[in-house]
Parts: sequence; C-alpha cells; structure tokens
Amino acid sequence: MDIGLLVFLPVLGAIASLLSRLNRPGPDHVQRHALTALIAPAICLLLLLSYLPRIQSGEALVYSISWVPEIGLGVAFRLDGLSWLFATLITGIGCLIILYARYYFAGKDSAGRFFVLIQLFMTAMLGIVLSENLLFMLVFWELTSLVSFLLIGFTWSSRNARRGARMSLVITGGGGLALLGGILLLGQIVGSYQISDVLAATDAIVRDDRYPLTLSLILLGAFTKSAQAPFHLWLPHAMAAPTPVSAYLHSATMVKAGLFLMARLHPAMGDTELWFSLITITGMVTLMVGAFVAMFMHDIKGLLAYSTISHLGLITLLIGMGSEMAMAAALFHLTVHALFKAPLFMMAGIVDQATGSRDMRNINGLWRTMPALMLITAIPAAAMAGLPLMSGYLSKKMLFSESLLVTAPHWANTLIPAWVTVAGLFSVAYSVRIFHNVFFNGAPVDLPHWPPRKKPAGMLVPLCILAAASLMMGLAPQATYDGVVHLAVMATSMTHLPLYDFSALSEARVPAMMSMTAMVGGVVFYLARGPLFAIHRQLPEVDAKNIFEQIMQQCIRFAQSLVYRLENGSLQRYLAFILVAAIAPALWMLGGYTGWQGPSALTEVNPMVVFGAVILCLSAIGVALFHHQRLPALLLLSVTGLFVTLAFAQFSAPDLALTQLSVEVMAVVIMMLALSFLPQTSPRESGAGRIVRDLGLAGLAGTGVALFAFAVLTRPAETISGYFLANSVSGGGGTNVVNVILVDFRGFDTLGEITVLGIAAVAVFAFTRDLHLKERVAHAGTAKGFAEPHPVILQMVSRMALPIALLVSAFIFLRGHNMPGGGFIAGLVTAVALTLQYMAGGLVWAQERMLTHFRPLIGAGLLIATATGLGSWVVGYPFLTSAFSHMDWPLIGEFELATALLFDLGVYTTVVGATLLILANLGKLMTVAGPGQEVG
Amino acid sequence: MNHLMIMPIVIPLLTGAFLLVMYRYNIGRQRSLSIGSTLLLVVFAVWALLQAGVTDYTLYRLGNWQPPFGIVLVLDRLTAIMLLLTALLSLFCVLYASRGSDREGSHFHALLQFQLMGINGAFLTGDLFNLFVFFEVLLIASYALLLHGGGRARSRAGLHYVVINLAGSALFLLALGILYGLTGTLNMADLARVIASAPEADLPLLKAASLLLMVVFGIKAALLPLLFWLPRAYSAASAPVAALFAIMTKVGFYAMVRVFLVVFGLDEGSPANESVLAWLWPMALVTLALGGIGVLGAASLRTLTAYMVIVSVGILLAVVSRNDEQLLAASLFYLLHSTCLTAVFFLLADLIGRYRDNGYDRFSVISPLSHRWILGTVFLVAAVSMASLPPFSGFVSKAWILQSSSPLPDYLWLWASILISGLLIIAALSRAGSGWFWRPEELAVKAAPALDGARTATVCVMIAISFSLALFAQPVMDYLEAAAHLVYQPSGYVEAVLGDYVSQSREVTE
Amino acid sequence: MELVVAITLGVLTSTGVYLILRARTFSVVLGLTLLSHGVNLFLFSMGRLTTASPAVIGLVESYTDPLPQALVLTAIVISFSMTAFVVVLALKAAVELRSDHVDGEDPNEDRQ
Repeated sequence: MDIGLLVFLPVLGAIASLLSRLNRPGPDHVQRHALTALIAPAICLLLLLSYLPRIQSGEALVYSISWVPEIGLGVAFRLDGLSWLFATLITGIGCLIILYARYYFAGKDSAGRFFVLIQLFMTAMLGIVLSENLLFMLVFWELTSLVSFLLIGFTWSSRNARRGARMSLVITGGGGLALLGGILLLGQIVGSYQISDVLAATDAIVRDDRYPLTLSLILLGAFTKSAQAPFHLWLPHAMAAPTPVSAYLHSATMVKAGLFLMARLHPAMGDTELWFSLITITGMVTLMVGAFVAMFMHDIKGLLAYSTISHLGLITLLIGMGSEMAMAAALFHLTVHALFKAPLFMMAGIVDQATGSRDMRNINGLWRTMPALMLITAIPAAAMAGLPLMSGYLSKKMLFSESLLVTAPHWANTLIPAWVTVAGLFSVAYSVRIFHNVFFNGAPVDLPHWPPRKKPAGMLVPLCILAAASLMMGLAPQATYDGVVHLAVMATSMTHLPLYDFSALSEARVPAMMSMTAMVGGVVFYLARGPLFAIHRQLPEVDAKNIFEQIMQQCIRFAQSLVYRLENGSLQRYLAFILVAAIAPALWMLGGYTGWQGPSALTEVNPMVVFGAVILCLSAIGVALFHHQRLPALLLLSVTGLFVTLAFAQFSAPDLALTQLSVEVMAVVIMMLALSFLPQTSPRESGAGRIVRDLGLAGLAGTGVALFAFAVLTRPAETISGYFLANSVSGGGGTNVVNVILVDFRGFDTLGEITVLGIAAVAVFAFTRDLHLKERVAHAGTAKGFAEPHPVILQMVSRMALPIALLVSAFIFLRGHNMPGGGFIAGLVTAVALTLQYMAGGLVWAQERMLTHFRPLIGAGLLIATATGLGSWVVGYPFLTSAFSHMDWPLIGEFELATALLFDLGVYTTVVGATLLILANLGKLMTVAGPGQEVG
Repeated sequence: MNHLMIMPIVIPLLTGAFLLVMYRYNIGRQRSLSIGSTLLLVVFAVWALLQAGVTDYTLYRLGNWQPPFGIVLVLDRLTAIMLLLTALLSLFCVLYASRGSDREGSHFHALLQFQLMGINGAFLTGDLFNLFVFFEVLLIASYALLLHGGGRARSRAGLHYVVINLAGSALFLLALGILYGLTGTLNMADLARVIASAPEADLPLLKAASLLLMVVFGIKAALLPLLFWLPRAYSAASAPVAALFAIMTKVGFYAMVRVFLVVFGLDEGSPANESVLAWLWPMALVTLALGGIGVLGAASLRTLTAYMVIVSVGILLAVVSRNDEQLLAASLFYLLHSTCLTAVFFLLADLIGRYRDNGYDRFSVISPLSHRWILGTVFLVAAVSMASLPPFSGFVSKAWILQSSSPLPDYLWLWASILISGLLIIAALSRAGSGWFWRPEELAVKAAPALDGARTATVCVMIAISFSLALFAQPVMDYLEAAAHLVYQPSGYVEAVLGDYVSQSREVTE
Repeated sequence: MELVVAITLGVLTSTGVYLILRARTFSVVLGLTLLSHGVNLFLFSMGRLTTASPAVIGLVESYTDPLPQALVLTAIVISFSMTAFVVVLALKAAVELRSDHVDGEDPNEDRQ
C-alpha cells in the first residue's frame, strides 16, 4: 500500500503548508513555506528511487482495495516502468519547481497558497500515473483540471487570468467528461477497469463494434489535456499563471497526462488503422501549427507555450506511429522535452522579474548583465533546437528515422518525413530566436527596470540541475535510455523488445541529413525573419481567448433568449401547454377507439333530469359568455352550483347535496367579498386567434370528459362498495354509509381533508396579514355597497337566528352518523350563522364577542381528530379504529355513541375555525382596521 | 401491527396542530418544537429504513379494515429511503430557517410541519385516492410556504404555481374517476390486480387514464412541457423553503415509479405502462436539454439552481422510462445526490447573497463580497460535487447510471445528454464562481457582518453528507438495488398487501 | 340518460377550461370553480347513477354506490379550501402587482 502513500503524501504536505500558512501568513515566511512544502515531494522521490531495482527487474507492482465494486471503482495503484518514469519526472521536477518558487514568490503574500495548491496538484498527477483502476484514475484526472483552473486563476485580479482559467477548465473538463464516457465504454467491453485486465483484452477491445466510439472519446480526453489542435487554444492562455506553474503544469507534467494515457492504453487499443490515422494526423497538425506560430511570438512565455504545443504534437505523432521504436522515441523525447522546457520557462520567469517585461522586441543583449543565466540557458536552448551532442538532437533524429519507416498508408511514407523536417526547421528557428533575441541582438529597448534587478543566485540552482540532466542525456543517451526509458517502453508494448541502439542511430544517414537541412534552414529562416515578421504583422490578430469568450457569450445569449421565449411568465401559455400535454397523448391513445359504448343498456331519459341538465349547461355557458361582466357571471355561477346540488339530490346523494349547498353559500360569499375589491369588468383582450385556440382546447377537453363518462356509465359496475354496505352498521356503527366511510372506513382521507382546510385558512391568515387594501378600496369604488355597513334589521335577525342555527347544526351533527348530515355540514352551518354576526355586527363588534380565536380552534379540531385516532392504540388497534356503544338520548332518540362521533367533532371544530378565519381575514381587508392588526 | 409506522404522518400533524393551538408561542418555542419534531422524524425514518431492510413490506391497516376496503399504508425500502431523505432535508431546512428566515411571515414552522405530513403521507400510502389527498395537503402547505415572506415576485410565482396545480388536481380526480369507474377499487395493489385482468375493450381507456396520471405527476415532477412554473417559483421562494422544495419534484418521481411500475406494471405479459414509458423517454430527454440550456442562461444562482433541479428531473425520468431494475437503483442513488446538492445550492445562494453588498445572488451585479475565502471554498466544493466531478456522490451516481444504461438500446442519447449537461453545469458554475470570488472590484469590503456560523455549518454538513454518500457508496447501493428489485416485483406487492383477499372473491364479502 | 349526463359533464368541463385560459384572475377563479363542479360530478357519476336509493341502511331496499359519494365529499371540501385560498391570493396579487392580470403588470420584472 506504500504506493498509495506515494500518492497521498503530498496531500499531507498540502495540509501542513495550509496550517503553516494559517498560523503565520505573510510574505516574510516564504523560506519556511518552501521548506515545509519540499518535505513531501522529497520523500516521494526517495521512495520512487528505492523502487527502481524492483522496476528494473521488469515487475509491475499492483495494489488494490475495493471501494465501490458495484461500479468497478476501486482504490488501486500500479507501479511499472511507465508510471515510474512519469512519477519520477513529476516529483523530481516538482522539487526543483518548489526550490525555484521559493525565490520567485519571495516577498509575495500568495506564496503560501501556491505551495498548498502545487502539492495538491502533485497528488493529482501522481494519482493519474499510478492508478491501476481507470475510473480511479479519472478522479485524479479531473482533479488536475480543477487545480490547474485554480493555478491559472492564481492572480485572479487580472481579467486574463480569470478568462484563461475558465477556458482551460471548460475545455479540459469537457475532455474529462468525454474520457469518462470512453472509459466506461471500455469497461463495458472488458468487464473491468483494472488496467491489467484491459491490457490483457486487446483482441476483445479492437474487435468490438463500440471500439471506434470508445477510442474517439478517450482520445478526445487525451487531446484536450495535451493541448492537441484544435484544443490547443487553452494552453497559451494558461500562461497567465505564475511562471513556476507554467513551467510545471503546462510544460513538464499536466499536459503530458494525455500522452501518458495514450501510451498506457496503446498496447490495448493501438495498432489499428483508426488509431494510426486519428493520432498521427492530429500530431502532425499540432506539431506544425505550434512550431509555426511559436516563430512569431514576441512574448517569451508565449513562444515557449507554442513550442510546447508543437513538441506535444511531435510526441503524439510518434505514439500514433505505434511501433516499439516509435514508442521508444516518443518516451525518450518526452523526457528530453521535460528536461529542457522547464529550465527555459524558469529563465523566462527570471527575466520577467528582473526586467519587468517578457517582450522579446524590448528584451535584448542580456548577456552583459546576466552572463550566468545565459550560459546555463544555452544548454536547454540548444537541446530544443536539436544541435548535435544535445539530447534534442538525438530525439529528433529518432523521430526522423521513425518517420522514414512509416509505410502503412500510402500517403504517409513521403509526406511524414518532409513534414517533420519542415517542422524541425521551424523549431530550430524559434530556438535560435529565443536565445539570440534575449541575450544578444543589440541593446535592450526601454525596459521597465534597467539595469535589471539582481536575482539571488540560488534561483539558478534548479536551472543548473535540469540543464545538467539534459546535457547528460545528450552525452550518454544509451545509459539513460537503458536505465530508465527502456522500462517505460516495455510497459507500453507488452513485448520484450531489444534495447534501442543509439550507435546505429548515429550511423544513420538520411536522418542526419534531414536534421542538417532543418538546422541550416532554421538559421536561414531566422536570419530572414525581418520581412517574415513584416508579413506576419499584416495578418489579422486573433486572440483565441476572445473568440472563446465570444462563443460562450453567444451560447449564453442563445440560452437566455430560448429560455425567455419558452418560460415567458405567461400563465395562459403554461396552462395551454398542460392541456395540450393532457389531451395529445389521450388522443393518440384513443384515436381509433370504437368501444366507447359499453355492454349495459342505456336507461330511458328522465325529463326532469334533462331540464336540470339544460339549465346547468346554459348557466355554465352563460358564465363563460358573460365573464366580462363579473357580478352577473358570479350569479350565474351560483345557479350552476345550485343545480349541481340538485343533481346530487336527484341521484340519491343527500349528504353531497347538503355539503354542496353549504359550501356553495360560503364560496359565493367569499367571491362576492373579493369582487368588491376587484374591477367589476374584465377587459376584452384576447384576440380572435387566441379565442379560437382556447375554444378548441376547451372543446377537446370537454369531449374527452364526456366520452369517458359515457364509456364508464355504459359499463356494468363491479366495485368494492358491497363491503361497506355490508359492514357499515355492524363494523362502523352507523346506518349512513357515506358518513361511516368518511369517519371510519376512510377516516384517514377526512383527516387529510380537514388538514387541507385548516392549512388553507392559516395560509390566508398568514399572507393577508400585512396587505394594504386602502387605495384599492377607494379606487374600486364599490365601497358604496357598504355605505351603511351594519343594517339594524340584519343585526336583529342574525342575533335571533344564531341560537337556532347552532341548534340546527348540533342536530345535523349528531344525526350525521345515521342520517344525512355530519360534522362537516354542521360546521359550515355554524360558520354561516357566525358569519352573519360579522356581517351584521361588524368585525370589531364580533371580534370582541368571540369566545376564542380561530387558529387555536383549527388546531384543536385537528388535535381532537388525531387524538381520537390515537385513542384506538390504547386498546391495541391501529390508528382510527372505531368503537361504539348504543345509548338512548332524549329528543334525538336512540343512536350509537361512536368514537367516530368524537372524530366528527374534530372535523366540526376545524371547519368552523377555518371557515371563520378565512372570512374574518377577508373581512378585515375592507374594514379600516389597518394591516398588521391580526384577526382570528 | 407496528404503530411506529404511522409516526412520520402523525408527528408533524400533531406538531403543526399544537403550534396552531399555541399560536401565541414566541418564535423560540416554535423553533424548538419544530426542530424537535423533525429530529423525531429522522429517528423514525431510520427505524423505517431498518424495518424495511428486515421485512420487504410492512403494512398498516388504518381503522383495522381489510385492504382494499380500508386505507392501508405500505412501507418498503423505496418508501423508507424517501422518508429518510425527507427527514434529513427538512431538518437542515428547519435549522437554516431558524436563523431568521422563519420570522419573515407567520406560522412558518406549523406550515412546514404540515408540508412534511403531506410528503410523508404521499410516500407511505397504498391507496390512490389517499395519495390524492396527501398531494393536496403537501400542495396547499407548499403554496403557503412559497408565499412565506411576501413580495411581488412571490405573489406572481405563487399565483401561477397554485393555478397550475389546481388544474393538475382536477386532472388527477378525472383519472381517479375513470380508474374507479372501470375497476371499482382504489387500493393500489387491488388496482394492479384488476388492471392486469381487465377486459381487452377497457384497456385503451385504462392506458389513457394512466397517461392523464403521467401529466398529473409530470406537473409535480416538472416534466417538459409542464415545468414552466418551476424556475420562478423556486427562485422566488425563501431559501429554506426552496431547499425543502428540492424534494417536491421527487415526490412526483416517486408517484410515477409507484403507479406506473407497480399499479400499471403487474401484467408481465403486456403491462399497461408501455405507452406511458414510451412518452416519458423523449419528454424526459428534452426536459434534460432544456434544463442544461437554462443553467447556462440563468441570471442568478437561484434560477441556475432551479434549472439544475430540472436537469436532475430530466435524468431521473429518462432513466425510469427505460424500465430497467438496475437503472432504477442507479437513478435512486442519483436522486439522493441531486436532492441534497440542489438544496445545498438554494441555501448557498442565500448565504452568499447575504454577504454581498448588493445584487443578492444576481450574476450581472458586481458587488463587494465579504468572507470571500470561506464562502469561496464552500462554493467550490459544492460546485465540484454538483458538476458531478469526482470524488463526490455526483460522479459515482452518474458513473452508475451510464454503466447500467449501456446494455440498453439507444443508450447513447442518455449518455450524450447527461455528459453534455454536465459540461454546461461546469461552464455555468465556473463563470459564476470566478465572477464572484475572483473580482478585484469585490476586494473593497465595507464593514462586513460576521459570518453566520450556524448557516454555514448547515450547508457544510449537507455537502459532507453528499461526500460520505460517495465514500460509503457500496452499502447504499446494495440497499437501493434491493429497493429497486422490490419495485420490479409487483406481484409480490399485491400478494403482501391484499393477502388472502386475492383468493376469495368479492361476492363473499357482500 | 347516460348521454345527457355525459354531455352536461362535457359542457361544464369545456366552459371551465375556456375560462381558466382567460387573462384575468377573476375569470380564472370562475373557471376553476366550474371545472371542479364538472370534475366532482364526473367522479360522482363514476358510481353509476341511481335515483331514490340513498346509501342509508334501512331507509330503502336498494342502495347506490356510497364510495364515490364519500370521495366527492372529500373532493368538494378540498376544492372549497382551494377556491377560498386562490380567491384571496388573487386579491393579494391584484394589489401587489397593480393589476388583476394573471401575470401582473410586467411578467418579466422579477427576472432582472
């Protein structure tokens, strides 16, 4: 498990740095921060070195524990040649970067933050290269994108930094999602995410018909990460990050993750036509674009960024070729590049800090003031140019010789060599340029700081080490290759291939000539740069960042306009949508349905029913027709309600009739009150088209309902109701089956129903609390209706009526269980009676005489009902089980005293409380009693 | 007969009613009562989780009447999961609200308790009409909570929300009527039994009724084209209410699962639910797409979150419509994740808004922001989890969904829309975050109020839950798979609920 | 007679639907009320329609189906609560949005 330690050590380091930053922040502790930050990476490096012998013996160390086996996600680590090479580069260069940063951030407040993030990044990077489980690797893959986002935005006060960060996150993040898709597909094909299993399943993968999709998705991830054209655009803008970040993430390590992935999966997915063409072509394009654009960059970091892109393209190209030798070349060059590009970036950082500029048009002739830097930089620059004896020379030559061996597709065998030679030419040119421009090429032109600030010598140490390493690779290629790279190559090609023979390489003719051409051409090209720059200046300036931002803006604007057009805040439209959504599927379902009329015969028409129906229809249509005249419409509506009541009465539902009647009264009263605050007419604002549309919808809806009703009515009924009729008396203790169902069989429904009523009332109370209606009342001009608010006669009548009404409601309540009636109706009757008091006496008058407030009444009702239900627990029965006993009452006669009666009492109380609370608060609005004053 | 089972309904009812009786209680007492009752809910939800783990179906016959005649509550694993999720979510909402949002109007806590009663009832009931009643309970409570705090935006959004849902309720009653008229029963299990053996001639009518139900539940779950009420309603609601509403769309989802997979899914030969699922699939995908677009186009963090709710609904319904056991389990995991995270973001929007000098949570407004580091970090972590980047629950859940969908036909549609929506969320959140926490203009912080520890802690704990969901994913997944497995055993459900009634015919009882 | 009932229900529904699609809150309220009338009657008729046989044991010899009646009673109460609520809400909205249009004066103002 100590490989896991390898990965998570830097996290501990990060935490340590965080703490040390928290307890002593500020610029003057950079030294301490740097040392704290150095511990973890250093240990990692030592651990890795200790592993070298076992790696050299060719074994792959694998440790894994399961995390989420369900989705094949496991905590698994793998250390073989390939991952060892990468891990060593990551930790080694990491240490040097931290050393460098110690000076770079000297006197900066943000130093601590940098050291925290850089170690987090190290964890992420080590996680990628050391994961055995591909899903697990993805965890770290996304983490690198995230940390890179934070590091690019490190100096977040700058707009460029913010935009660059966003751009890189969106591109690499998107790539990450594609990679997720690809890896999941791969896992589906192989049946496991363990790299060992994947590498063992080559044939299955390549043969599977999902292979092209899988490969493309995975490559999408790799290309976005490794800045392959056309996704390379984010990399130059990542240069907004501090130089150590650019040196580490954006040249040495993170951008290599994609290459690592390709190399890792090459044995499993490589050696196919698709692999070759996809990767090779991308590599070639990237190689050329990068090299060409780099030539014309004036910003040192910009030039280095594009040269990085082109080198990444070069390596990609080699991986695409896929032969063992090509792989060897690829990994060799990858190492070489890491070793020479990092110091060049460090140089850029030093120059930047010393002179305050990175523009090569101003920075010239630094050799006088910075000779040491010049000497050290000479080596990596030469390596980048690929001068003889330099590591770059060898890797280029390897590339050239490989390019000659490619014969597979006919177009490749001549094109690739020519292509790479030209690209080599450019790379020579820009290498010469960066070195010559910065250190020679006449005198500096108005630099911010001149003479340049002195930078501490220690800042050069990491450069020296890297330069030395690069030099060594050039001088003793065979040794370094055999020692390190070869192991990695073997890991990428499952076969035990022979070592790469550099002596043979040095004999090779054609490659030598090719690199000669590149060198000479490059120098010539550089000498002739004047006119070329002149031409280039004519070309339009394109800033990828702005293009990206514009695209983003476009998308956002599109999104906004679309959302606005759909979700435009028009209730009418939403309702229309819903109706269509309800009608269309039903229409589709029952389009050709013929079985509407069921088996049972139609009953003969009853003239009285027809009469009622006609009135009902007419009144309803009337409401629709005259809804602009609100009061008449409301009156017509009450007619409708009345006839609905009659319909209930006609079809043997006395309880419903009573309920509907009392509810109708209440509803109309409420609407009347409301109407007194609203305009008395509705304007005619719907256009003809709208009306036609609505009529259409209404017609369809109506037809649908009618058809359904007809269909059901003409079918025989087979229901569970027999049970209720059978058990109502024996089990429920009541002869009025409807009421027994309400308070017993389905008492739970009733409990919910009164809760709804109660909540509605409380809600009305809550949101009318601070509602100002004064101006409304004035303007509605209907105050006249209340000119003489409390007519005396009404007062007399209502007060006399009250006791009678209460008696009636008591009667209705008590007989409810056996005869039509019950708590709800009784409650409404009581409420009506009390409302009359309000109407007559006025709010204040009534409020004073009310025994209690209404909200507690509602609460009490609910409590009574619930308590009744809970009561049955005492005798060990479930909630709402009823019990009853017969007894004889005077006047009312023999009836059962059932727990259901208690339940009904709860209903009654709630109904009274709720109804009165609503009416009282509605009434409150029209009294002068100002807002805020609570009623009920 | 285990009485604990009805607690999730009775406790909030009693608390709410008691708070009404004691309407003069000062806010402090209201809070402690409300928090106490919610804590109890968590306890009983945990009990339910264990109970359901032991016995597949636990029944509670209200009034001691034999189903299908009386109303019966059914507790299985799916129910238990939803109960626990609701309880935890509401606990955090109550805690957050108790920092002051509950003062903006009257009776916040009573209404919230009633809301919980409605939600829990909807999860527990085994009776279709009773489901309607509980829908109404949770709706009327949600109307009130949505209006909590007052203001023009809330009034408008509230009016739309209410009217649309009233239309929905009317539809629900229609569908119920048709079902009763044709089957003569209301108990879900009994309905399933009768529908499975319905005469050929009635089948189209029954399917049409199920399509009506799809619309009803689609309004609750916010399925295109029924979702347009959602963005404004959710972004207008006060933060804790919006966070609680994160569970509301899931109620619609749950109802769909129950009704379409159990009630209409019994007949293995030709289940009556294909037509619904056939409609659901494309609509859900379009919902998902619209959600993604909305996320990109949102003008404030609350609106953005509202659209993330829509995205999650799209994913959930698309997944359910594939009608696959494994996928259902995966979708349940995603449900846990998305509910938790959308709630987090509603609270976060409020939290950040409080510390910006002006503009609250609008993106267009540039304004000084205090406590940049803490808030920024919290936002970053939440965003990472919401964008379903590893190592949070979002990553695990999406990986699971994608994996288990890949064997099915046209899975690529699902993959594409899920991955692309993920990218859109990343883009939107990175814009929001960098715009807020990385702006030099916002360096100038005036006299900053101290950071509200309790509110921040609440949010952090919720994020931590999402993280531990990923950390201990395996046991959770096992439970969810068992739950999904039960859902796909409708016959077992019917057996368990109706018991011996199935064998004896109706006439006997008459 | 089934036909008569069916048509009546259809008319009630259509008028209700037409009215909820109107632009003023009051019309919408009217529409919702009509709609609930229609729906309640529909649900009621689902128990088939019989005359003069109320489900009161011992009152008559043949009983109608009592269950839909119970359901409709619940539905009536709920729709009453909802109507009351929505009426007052419409009032509140009309005051605060300075218009009784269902979208208020400017539906998009709470976007900015």
